Amino acid sequence: MVPEFWSEFWYGLPVVAQDALWFVFLLLPAILAGVAVVWSYRPFSLVRAMIWRYRWTNALFVLLIAVSVGLGVGLIAQERGIRKGTARAAEKFDLVVTAPGSEVQMMLATVYLQPVDVPLIDGATYDAIASNENVALAAPIAYGDSYRESSVIGTTAAFVTHLSGDLTDGRMFQAVDEAVVGARVPLDVGDSFTPSHGVGDGAEEHAHDGVSLRVVGRMAPTGNPWDKAILVPVESVWKVHGLPLGHRPERDGQIGPPFDPDYFPGTPAILVRADQLWANYALRSEFTTERTMAFFPGAVLSQLHGLLGDVRQVMSVMAVVTQLLVAAGVLAGLAVLIRLYARRLALLRALGAPDRFVFSVVWTYAATLIGAGAVLGIGVGLAAVGIISRIVTARTDILVEASLGWPEFHLVAGFVSLTVLIALLPAFAALSRDVITDLRS
Amino acid sequence: MSLDLTIRDLVVKTREGRSLLTVERLDIPAGSRIGIRGPSGAGKSTLLFAVAGLLKPASGTVAWGKHLVSDMGAAERARFRRENVGLVFQDFLLFEELSSLGNAAIAARYAKRSSRRRIVESARAGLARLGLDTLGGRRVDSFSGGERQRVAVARALANDPAIILADEPTASLDRASADLLIDDLAALSSETGRTLIAVSHDAALHARMDLVIDVVDGRPLV
Ligand SMILES: Nc1ncnc2c1ncn2[C@@H]1O[C@H](COP(=O)(O)OP(=O)(O)OP(=O)(O)O)[C@@H](O)[C@H]1O
Ligand SMILES: [Mg+2]
Repeated sequence: MVPEFWSEFWYGLPVVAQDALWFVFLLLPAILAGVAVVWSYRPFSLVRAMIWRYRWTNALFVLLIAVSVGLGVGLIAQERGIRKGTARAAEKFDLVVTAPGSEVQMMLATVYLQPVDVPLIDGATYDAIASNENVALAAPIAYGDSYRESSVIGTTAAFVTHLSGDLTDGRMFQAVDEAVVGARVPLDVGDSFTPSHGVGDGAEEHAHDGVSLRVVGRMAPTGNPWDKAILVPVESVWKVHGLPLGHRPERDGQIGPPFDPDYFPGTPAILVRADQLWANYALRSEFTTERTMAFFPGAVLSQLHGLLGDVRQVMSVMAVVTQLLVAAGVLAGLAVLIRLYARRLALLRALGAPDRFVFSVVWTYAATLIGAGAVLGIGVGLAAVGIISRIVTARTDILVEASLGWPEFHLVAGFVSLTVLIALLPAFAALSRDVITDLRS
Repeated sequence: MSLDLTIRDLVVKTREGRSLLTVERLDIPAGSRIGIRGPSGAGKSTLLFAVAGLLKPASGTVAWGKHLVSDMGAAERARFRRENVGLVFQDFLLFEELSSLGNAAIAARYAKRSSRRRIVESARAGLARLGLDTLGGRRVDSFSGGERQRVAVARALANDPAIILADEPTASLDRASADLLIDDLAALSSETGRTLIAVSHDAALHARMDLVIDVVDGRPLV
């Protein structure tokens, strides 16, 4: 049983202190072993000379450790980076209302702009949502069209501002033929384009021939797939499809809310923002009806992450198992490497060096290689995570940031402790060799 | 304390049980200079290893004064060598990446804290007297064979041993270097009353010894 004062103390600590203590705790066996083994001797310059003697062999060994440690470190850091990146991408999407269906599919479509065919929400429903007293922002999100790699999304100016704040370039759209582009869309302010119907390979390129939209502004980067999107007034999407424009004839030419339910052709999704945090829950149950589904993308995402939690555990276990295998490999490698030094070790013993000194030389040698490999491995891991994150970001448009965190350092500390303890074995084995046989060799 | 060597009924066997060396009786008074010669494979090195306490004999006794080396465990024998024996090997056996002083004073790395300084000082003095002090901090892998062998001698002397055991110390040296080394070894032992036992084919070395023992077929002829 853990004494109460201890758990009180432990959970009273800041998280950083807990992590740091864990790190020290995991590294402690290595440190204690080092102090105990080397105590009162001076093996270091001898070990340096030994390492230098077979520097390339030793360097190769260190490199192998570094790559294996780097892979383990990279694996868990990458998983966390992707999890955080996807969560950050969904941050701006408080509550989404769509036609009933799969929450996951709707979330993928709305937040990550993965194309999907869905029924539309009609004007009356939109009006009910927009005029709810707790709703601060209700923006239609009308997807379905595209231009090259970019989705063309019909929405409102308020949503653009909600998504990315002030524009970095140009101004907000003010007419049906104007567009604001995401930070990474390869169109400049002033460029014109014709949207295609549909998205990706199935897009019908000439369906909207004769339509020309002009870029008038550019959004700040958001770190999600919307950086690749082109945002237009929702009226523009309706117009392109030959639908009513959302306003009574006498208000023809108006851009943005309020919309007239009778002239509202529909939208696949609505982003809802409550004026109070608590109101989100009330709104969700209010908009969960026969004809509509309301969900929190953040909650759906964490459900997904929760499901994937098992996968994550498998990955962590894999990372640990890999490190164990590497440790076994290190043991075998050391056994071979130490034989390179058999004659020198026999010499030391013939001269009368105490066993404990010879032991400390062998162990310090092994621990130095392991330590160097581990430190280098952190660098390798960081580099690997950096490269993979960049690739993932480019492929998915979800900003994945590379960073090493405590779990990686814990893994490395545990690895170092385990392997330097394992290294005691070849150090013992070195002592059981016959001095005269090795001297004669 | 004087360390006379006394060997009685010594038998050294291989692990398989074949007899390598048999010495019924051998007495060497402290301070003697002894040469050992014999055909290759006769058991000269084995004899040297036995008196150095590097191996555990199958039976019989090897004693230096009151130190009954043949009865000691490995750790005790290591301590005996550390405190009383200076070993010189046929092929130098140096740490190539260390300097001459680093090699000569290697015992300081594992000696008691109190004797480290003395070991380093005496290694430095030994190198100087063997004419190696001008080589400075260079790594010994750049040394000539004669220089290396002298570093090995300086190493053997650094802990001021009462016993010097040398296995073919001049084998890989040219005549001039060999003569210099023989002079050094003989002088070092006669000045300080150390016992010197040197295995060698070299007649010039034999000429400087008090006694030369022939070993044939695993038996010293005495
Ligand atoms: N561990 C061992 N197992 C079996 N035979 C051994 C072992 N050690 C030595 N011998 C054998 O014992 C004999 C004596 O060896 P030793 O090295 O003492 O000869 P030596 O007189 O020093 O020869 P050299 O002049 O060539 O150095 C040799 O035939 C050698 O092969
Ligand atoms: Mg020999």
